[in-house]
Parts: sequence; structure tokens; C-alpha cells
Amino acid sequence: MAKMTPNTVSARKHVDTMALVTRNLGKRKRAEWRFRAYGVAAILFGFACLLILFSDIIAKGHGAFFQTQVYVQVPLNAQRLQITDPSSTAQLAKANYDSVIEQGLIEDQMRINGAIGSTAADKRQLLNLISTGAVYTVEETLSDTPSLLNQTVGVWLVADDDVDNYVKSLGHSGEGISGRLSQQQQGWVDNWIAHEQVRQAFNTTFFTSGDSREPEQAGIRSALMGSLFMLLVTIGLSFPIGIAAAIYLEEYAPKNGLTDFIEVNINNLAAVPSIIFGLLGLAIFIGFFDMPRSIPLVGGLVLTLMTLPTIIISSRAAIKAVPPSIRDAAYGLGASKMQVVLHHVVPLAMPGMLTGAIIGFAQALGETAPLLMIGMVAFIVDVPDNLMDPSSALPVQIFLWADSPERAFVERTSAAIMVLLAFLITMNGLAVWLRHRLGRSHQ
Amino acid sequence: MSSNSGYNRLFDPMQETGRPLDFAQHGLGNKTVGNSFSDKAKMSVRNLNVYYDDKQAIHDVSLDINRNEVMAMIGPSGCGKSTFLRCLNRMNDTIDNCKVEGEVTLDEHNIYDRKQDVVPLRARVGIVFQKPNPFPKSIYENVAYGPRVHGLVSRRAQLDEIVEDSLRRASLWDEVKDRLFSSGTGLSGGQQQRLCIARTIAVNPEVILMDEPCSALDPIATARIEELMADLSQNFTIAIVTHSMQQAARVSNRTAYFHMGRLIEVNDTRRVFTNPEHALTEAYITGRFG
Amino acid sequence: MERHISQRFDSDLEALKSQVLEMGGVVEQQIIDSVKAIESVDRTLAEHVLSVEDDVDRREVLLDENCTMILACRQPAASDLRMVLSVTKMTRDLERMGDEAQKIAQMAIALSDDGAAPGGYESIRHMGALVQKMVNSVLDAFARFDADKALDVARADTQVDREYQSAMREIVTYMMEDPRSIGRVMNIIWALRSIERIGDHARNIAEHIIYLVKGLDVRHTSVHEIEMRLNKS
Repeated sequence: MAKMTPNTVSARKHVDTMALVTRNLGKRKRAEWRFRAYGVAAILFGFACLLILFSDIIAKGHGAFFQTQVYVQVPLNAQRLQITDPSSTAQLAKANYDSVIEQGLIEDQMRINGAIGSTAADKRQLLNLISTGAVYTVEETLSDTPSLLNQTVGVWLVADDDVDNYVKSLGHSGEGISGRLSQQQQGWVDNWIAHEQVRQAFNTTFFTSGDSREPEQAGIRSALMGSLFMLLVTIGLSFPIGIAAAIYLEEYAPKNGLTDFIEVNINNLAAVPSIIFGLLGLAIFIGFFDMPRSIPLVGGLVLTLMTLPTIIISSRAAIKAVPPSIRDAAYGLGASKMQVVLHHVVPLAMPGMLTGAIIGFAQALGETAPLLMIGMVAFIVDVPDNLMDPSSALPVQIFLWADSPERAFVERTSAAIMVLLAFLITMNGLAVWLRHRLGRSHQ
Repeated sequence: MSSNSGYNRLFDPMQETGRPLDFAQHGLGNKTVGNSFSDKAKMSVRNLNVYYDDKQAIHDVSLDINRNEVMAMIGPSGCGKSTFLRCLNRMNDTIDNCKVEGEVTLDEHNIYDRKQDVVPLRARVGIVFQKPNPFPKSIYENVAYGPRVHGLVSRRAQLDEIVEDSLRRASLWDEVKDRLFSSGTGLSGGQQQRLCIARTIAVNPEVILMDEPCSALDPIATARIEELMADLSQNFTIAIVTHSMQQAARVSNRTAYFHMGRLIEVNDTRRVFTNPEHALTEAYITGRFG
Repeated sequence: MERHISQRFDSDLEALKSQVLEMGGVVEQQIIDSVKAIESVDRTLAEHVLSVEDDVDRREVLLDENCTMILACRQPAASDLRMVLSVTKMTRDLERMGDEAQKIAQMAIALSDDGAAPGGYESIRHMGALVQKMVNSVLDAFARFDADKALDVARADTQVDREYQSAMREIVTYMMEDPRSIGRVMNIIWALRSIERIGDHARNIAEHIIYLVKGLDVRHTSVHEIEMRLNKS
């Protein structure tokens, strides 16, 4: 027994620690390497997904930023237009532009092709090659220079979406996808191409007009403005409310059952599916307060409800992260509670609060489901001017277009997604910049 | 006579050694020994009890802190000395579950009176913390903050004067005068702590509490702060909590020894470090437990 | 509680204590031997006392080194501080005692060369025994950290002083009786003087022990006063 202790001690000495360590070293290094490799693989996978998504969207959507136009000599015949005074807006609004465009197209085909079919169906087919929106181009030309009345002017008219598709597919693969175009219509278009009467121009319509049944006339302006208004409402309400709530809960509220209950509920609300907020908005704002449907104000209110929990939670976390030593220092100097909060806690927590808020706003910007519930899924042609105008929202617009049968809407859907992404990236960029600025001023 | 002397119990070879400390045997429940009372007190604490929820952190402590004296509080970790210090300017108010009973007077006025506002109290009783905690602002702003929140100055020139004076009194002016507007967090640990002291004296308090002000500093920075304390004690009353007994011995006039929430002994520092009255004090300062 | 957290500090202090006791033992023996050498006119014993001196000096130096080391490395406080300070002073007193014993031994040699003195041996024996008991007691008091016993030693010193006075008066009569023996009687006087000094050093050590145990500085005070202050504390 007495010898036991020295024996165990010497026994341990005989174990060659270095040999054991060396033996395991290779294994440990390999495990280390694998661990890193998993991380790298995860990042690569993420990047690959992002790349595929972006390249797919860009490949599909970039075409929507360009529009096929056809050069047509339009005879602005007063008789056909059924007007007398080109400077009168009332007359211009009522003028029969279809008739002059049809005449121009027929004359155009006569000139390059010698003849066209003379039936009414042929004429309709010819007119169908041009967008129904072309009349506005002609009207604009005339109202800009009224002296052109009774003269023939060359105008670039927006082609119909089928022509647009056909021309773009020719450009891509050399082999035109005719789609809904008849053999005859294809021939006419080919002729125009041969005579260089077709061009690809930047698609301003996409950014300046609202939704339309005609893809070549459809734009995202209405949806973009709707989203912007909603975002303004959301930022204006949820940021101050959220921060005020977070400050109260963190700094002032007594720690008791009630505040615990509130905290649990806020956390639960953050996890509630967004469509529930839509239902809530429908019941409260539209049902109870009798607000109109489809307006950005209601949308913004609903999104405010949805983002509030996120902002409160992240703001509370940011406030909690302010070192207690700073608080102590300020209290120790005799600062009042409000001074401590306003001078020290909020400025230090601001970058964290902003991050949370902007994540919330980005979420709100991309939210579709609750907006469906409050009627923002409506077909809105007019661009909203204020918070009370019916409008759409970018994600809803994407949803609507993705649902449309016309081929041309495919590229517009992707283009709208690109606009939405650009919006989000801008917001995130702003967040990073703000964080950096605020962070630096408090170093 | 000799049988109850501290030294005998500690060294007597006839006694069994290595026995765990028996607190009851050393009269832990008894009254504080030494000179805890004074007739020229700046702050007086009477029958102070502090509870964290149900746990009592301070047991019936009474103590006077004299004008322009440096009072050191020593004791093992968790003995309540920091809690006691924080009671002196009601910093414990910020802790929710902390309950304070008893009386603490500053110039014979009870600071725990219901009518007492903590804001002016803390202007009169400043505090310096263990970890240097300058605000993440410029050096100037750090020092100017106190005078600003209390509205002590109306003109910028006055504020400049206070800032310079405070930094000078904290013997930091020469080191920072060329970079007053660079961040306070960019200073070294010792400079940061002196900045915190400058920030505290900028409010011109009457009492300065220091909660282990040197525990995060290297010996040279510590020596500077100790030197500073000696200067400051001419104008301020200082109460310092420290883990370093040598520091307490070097800087203080009187030393209070706390043990498990009780004030065991208060005596002149010279006495405490050469011949403490209480066996527990003796055991602590000679390094027999801690 | 009785032990330091640092066990090495404990063993340092223990070592210090036992070194003092050892040195005390050597010096005590020196004193016994030197007194005996005078009484029995033993020249070899006296020479032996002289030869021990180097050992005592070495011990003094070693103890001082150890005290310096403890002061520098441990920064002792309170009782530990008093311990180290007392030990440095006690060492000094012990060394002086050794010196006095040496002087007595030299007187013994001188007396063995010149022939015995006409008287005074009784006083030497008597005072020598008293002082030797004091030295013994004071070392014992130190070993036990016993302030009461140290106080007894301080009391005994006054008795030694009285004995010294009467021995002087006695010896002066010898000198008056036979002026030729003055040279030899002077040796006896020097020896008595040294014994008395040893008593003083023993009293000093007793005062250091009282300081060590009670924290009271009782130097330059009468025994009566010491008693009063000890009772008060």
C-alpha cells in the first residue's frame, strides 16, 4: 500500500506523452481540415444558388428593358382623324388615330411589298402588329407640333408584344418564334426587318406606366410607387414605435409577470405567418375603420404591424448589448434616466437598431401575402399620387405578371424582380453605410 | 492575556493547525471593533442592511467617513464592500432587486430620504469604477459631460476651463492636451482611468467613491493613480474599495475590514497593517485566507 | 486560519523562527561556558567560547538575509511584519550577547594568565546564573510567543541591575583593601559588566517579543509601565 503512490507516479512517467500526441496529430489535422471544408462547401453552395438565381433572372428579364419599335409613315390626315383644330386638346383626345395608323401601315406595305391582302381580316392583322398604345405616340407627336396636320410623318411606333417576342427571338437564335403571329404577319415583319424599319429602343414604358393587359404597355411604376408609399408609412410608424417600445421595455418597465407576458407575445408575433397580419388588417383597417381597399396607407399599416416585433426584438437586443459600464458611468455622474438613455444608450444601440429595422423593412418590402388580403392585388393602371390612391406593390405585381398567359410577361416578371432586388440592395447598402457612419462616430 | 492574542492562535505550535476557520469562534456576530465613529464625519452610515432579494449582503454596518480623509475598504471577494460603497451614492438604485435599510447621511442629511433626488446626490458624491469606462466620445466630451448634464456652465469658455482644470487635477492634461478631440477610448488603460477620475471631479463633487480603481491597471498606472489620490484627498473625501492591501496601506488614512457582509474592524491604516485588533482582520491581511 | 494560503510563506517564517532559536541556543551555551570558564579558571573552555563567535556571526548574517528576502518577496503585514522586524532586532541583540560572552571569555583568559582575583567570583556565579536563566526564558518566550514570560524576563533584568550594583560595591572594597590586585579585580569588573549587558540584551529581546505578540512598542519604558499597557490591551 505504501508503495502504491510512487508506483503510479512512475507508471505515468513511462507513458510517452509525445508519442501519443504525435499519433493523434494527423487525425486532428484531418478533422480540422474537414471542418473547414464543410464551411467552404456551404458558402460555395450558397454562392452557386445565388448565381443561378441571378443569372436566370437577368437572362430572362434583361429583354424587358428594350422594346421593339416599327418605323411607320403616318399620314396625319385631318379628315381621317376627324378633327379640325390640332391645338384643341379636347379634339385631340377624341381623334381617330387608329384610322391614320392603319392607313400608314397599308401604304407602308404597299410601298415595300407591292400589295397586301385587301380583306378586312388582313387589315386587322396588319393593325395588330402595332401596339394599341401606338395611338398615344401619334397623339403626342401631333400635340407637340400641331402644324404637322395633313402631313405625313415618320414615327417609331411600339410593336405588339408578339412582334416583340418574334424579333427578340430572331436576335437570339436566328430562328423566330412566331407565337401567335400568322404566316402573313411574319412575312410583313420580316419585310420591315429587311428594310430596317425595326429597332430596339429603351423601354421607358416599363418605368413610366402602370399595369396593362398589353405586355408592351405594362410598367411597374404603379407598383413601385405603391411599394414606396407603403415603405414610407412603415418606416414612419414602425421605427419610432418599435424603438420607443424597446426602450420602455428595456429601461423603464419593471421586471414582472406582465412584462414577461408582453415579451413572450412579441416573440410569438415575430413568428406569426404574415398572412395573419393581412387578415388582421382586413378586419381592423378595412372592416372596422372602413378605409378603402388597395391603398398604400392600409398596406403600410399592415406591414407596420408585421415589422414591429422584428424591430422591437432587435432593438431590445441592441439596447441590451450596450455595456452596463457606460450606463454606470453616466448614472455615476448624476445623469437622469432620460439623459442616460438619450445620450448613451440610444446612440450606442443605434447601429444595431438600424440593422434590425432595415431587415424588417426589407422583409416588408418583399411581403405579398398580407397585401393580397387587403386588396392590393387589384389591377391598377393609374400610378398612385398619394397614400390614398389605389395602388399595387412590387411583389404583388410580380405575382400578377407571373400568373399572366402572355409570353412577354415572362421577361417583365423577371425585370420586375430585378427592380425589386435593386431596391432591396439599395436599402441594405444604406443600412451598411449608416451603421458604418454611426459606428465610427462612437468609437 | 496571551491566550486570546491573535499571534498566539496563529503560531502556537501546541495548537492543531490547518483547521478550517470557525467564524463563530472569532466573534463574527459582534460589533465592529476599532474607531468607526467620528465627530467630524462627512458621511455617516448607521445600521445599514442591504438585501438582494432574500439574500442579505450587508449586515448592520455603521461607519463614519471623515472630511478629506481617504477611507479604504478591504475584505475578501463577496464581503459586501463594493455593495457598501455603492450605497453611498445610491448606485444600488439601478439594481432592481436591491433593498437598502438604515441611514446614510451626507452632511447630516439622510440620502435615503424619500425627498432626496439621486441626480444632485450623485453630483455631490461621484464614483469611479473598477474598469475604466470612458464614454465612446472625445476626451473633451467625456470631461464636459458631467458639467453639461448638470448645467454648471453657460459659456463654452467656462467649460473649456473646467475641462482643462479637471484634466490637470487628474494629472492627465499634459498627455492629452494635443488631442482633446480624439476618442477617449483610444487612451491606455491608466490614462482612461485618469480620464474617468477627471470626468468625476469635473462635477466638483464633495465625496469621490472609487470601486477598485486600479485592479485593471499595470503597476506604473496604479502608482500614478495612487499619487493622484493623495493629491485629491486635500480637496475631496475619498472612499476606496480595493483588493490590494498594499494599496489600502499606501493611500488610506483609515481602513475598514469587511467580512461576509459585516464590518469587522475600522482602524487607522497604520494600526490595521501592523497590529490589527480583530483576529479576522489579522488573518486576512497576513494572507491566511481570502 | 492558522496557516497562510502560501505554504512557502509559512515554511519561510517557520525557518526564521527555528534559526533564531538555534542561534539563541548557541549564544546561550556561549554565555554558560564563558561564565563557567571564569569561575573555574578554565582557559580551554574560554578559548572554545571565542572559537564559536564565527558561527554566531554567520548565523546573524544568514538570518538578516532571510528577513530581507521575506520583506522583499512576501510584503508581510501585521503579525508577519512584526515577526520579521522583531527577528532582525533580536538577531542583533543575540549577536551582541555573543560579543559580551566573548569579552567574558577574554577576561577568563586574562585571569588564568594573571592569577585569580581576590573575590567577586560569587557575584559572577550568581549573576551569571540569573542572566543565563533570563536568556533561557526569553528564548522560551519567543518559541511560545508568550508575552507574559517575556515580561517576567524584563522584570528579572531589574534584579540583575540591583545585583550588579551590590557586586560593584563589594568589589570596590577588594580594590581598596589590596591595590596590587586592582588589575585582576578590573577583569572581574569587566566580566560583571558584560554579564549585566547580556541581561540588558535579554530584556531588549523580551521587549521585541512583546511587540511581536501584542503589537505594543514597549522600548524605553519601565517594567511597571509595560505591565499597565499589557493589561490595557
